[in-house]
Amino acid sequence: MSTVEAVSIAASAVLALLVVALLVATAVEHTGRARRAARTARRRAELTPLVHALLEADDGVDAPDVSGSDPLLDELVIELLPQLRGADRTALQAVLVERGVVDQAGVMLSSRTAWRRGRAAELLGNVASGRHVPQLVALLADPVADVRSAAARALGRTGDVAAVAPLLAGLAVRPGIPPGIVGMALLDLGTPALPALRAAVNGPVPEARPLAAELLGLHGDPGAADLLVEVLADVHRAPVVRRSAASALGRIGSPHATATLVSTVTTTGPLEVQVAAAEALGRIGDPAGLEALTSGLRTGAALVRSACAESLAAFGPAGRARLAAHAVLLGPTGAAARSALDTLDARALGRRPAPVRVAA
Amino acid sequence: MTRVLVVDDDPVIADLVSFRLARLGLDVSVETDGQAGLAAARELRPDLVVLDWMMPRMNGLEMCAALRADPDEQLARTPVLLLTAKAQEPDLERGFAAGATDYIVKPFSTRELATRVTAALPPGTVLA
Repeated sequence: MSTVEAVSIAASAVLALLVVALLVATAVEHTGRARRAARTARRRAELTPLVHALLEADDGVDAPDVSGSDPLLDELVIELLPQLRGADRTALQAVLVERGVVDQAGVMLSSRTAWRRGRAAELLGNVASGRHVPQLVALLADPVADVRSAAARALGRTGDVAAVAPLLAGLAVRPGIPPGIVGMALLDLGTPALPALRAAVNGPVPEARPLAAELLGLHGDPGAADLLVEVLADVHRAPVVRRSAASALGRIGSPHATATLVSTVTTTGPLEVQVAAAEALGRIGDPAGLEALTSGLRTGAALVRSACAESLAAFGPAGRARLAAHAVLLGPTGAAARSALDTLDARALGRRPAPVRVAA
Repeated sequence: MTRVLVVDDDPVIADLVSFRLARLGLDVSVETDGQAGLAAARELRPDLVVLDWMMPRMNGLEMCAALRADPDEQLARTPVLLLTAKAQEPDLERGFAAGATDYIVKPFSTRELATRVTAALPPGTVLA
C-alpha cells in the first residue's frame, strides 16, 4: 500500500468518524430537547389546576399558596391573562405582583434588547400596572416601532387617563405610532378618556384632531355633540377633521346635528365632508334630513349621490319611496337610486349585497 | 349526568372552561376543531355545547349551523354558547343567525360563563 493510499484511507476513516460523531451529537441533542419539552409539558399540566384554582379564590375557596411555585406558573398566568376579564383578571394580576413578575418587567422596560422591552410593556399592560405609566410613555419614543406599538397598547390597558395626551401627541412624532394602534389604545381607556378626547378635537396636535373626533363618535358620546357640530360647521377647519366630526355625529345619533348636516350636504364643499354628512343623516334617521338627501341624490357629485342614495335606503318606507321615484330616471341619479334599492332587496332576501355602483 | 361539549382549538381556554364547568358538576368533553366537535356531538349528544368561532377545518359557525340542520331533532335543539374573540355587532348577528343560543366575548369572565351555562340548562342540573 502506497503512502498516498494510506493517507487517503486514514482521512476517510476520520471523516466517517466525524460524521458518526455529528449524528450521535444531533441524536443526543434531539432526545434531550424532546425530554425537556415533555418535562415542561408535564409541569404545565401539573401547574394548570393550580392556576385555575387561583380563579376560585373569591368563591369561598382559599387561594392556593403559590409563593414557592415553579417559574413556569408565571408563564401560564401570563398566557391566560389576556383571555380573561373582571375578577379573574384581577386575581391573576395579583399573583404576578406578589411573585415579583411585575417589578421585574418594570426593570426590563429599560433593557437593551428590544424584544425584552416590548414583552415587558405588553405584560405591564396586561396587569394594568398604573405605576409604570411614565416609563411606558417614555417608550412611545423608542427607536423600535414594535416597542412603541407595544407601549401604546399597554398604556391603553392601564386604564390611566394620564396616557391620553402622550398617546395623541405620539401621532405627531416621526417615526410615530400607527393611528390604528393609538385609536385602539384610546378606546381601551374607555369613557374616562372622553374629557381629554373632547379637548383634543381643538387641541394643539393637528394630527390628533380627526382621531379624537372619530373616537368620540365610537364612544357615542352625546356630551360631544355640540362641539362636533361646531367643528363641522366651521368651513375653515381641515376637511379631514370636519369629515370625522360628521361621522361621529352620525354614530352619536343626535337629531340636534341634523340642521348642520343638512346644510353640509346641500352646500358645495369638500366631497369627503359632504359624503360623511350624508352618511350621518342616514344613521341618525331624522325625517328632517330626507329633503337634503333627496336633493343630494339629484344634484350631488357621484360620491355624494351614492351616499345620499344609501342613506335614503336606511330611512325605511319614506326613503324607499323617494328612491323608487328616482329609480325610473335615466342617468346617474336613476342608477344610484336603483343600486340602493338593489342593495335593500338583497338584504331583505338575506343575500350579500352587490357592491354599490358609483355612477359618474 | 349533564354532559357539556367544549370545542376550542386553544388548549389554555379549553382546559379553563372544562375546569370551571366540571366544578358545576357537569360531565365535560373537549374537542379542538369543528369537524371533530360535530362528530363528538353526534356521538355524545351533549346537553350543551360551548363553541369557539375561529378554528381549523370547520369553524364554530359552520359547526353550529350543521348542528341546527341535523336530522336528529334533539341534537338540532342543543343549546350552543359561542365563546369568541369576535366582538363586533355584525359578528353577534352572524353568530345568532347561525343558531347560537348565547354569545360570550373573549376576554371573558369564568363567573359569567358559569352563570350563562347554568341559565342555558334546565333548572337543577347544575350544582349551586
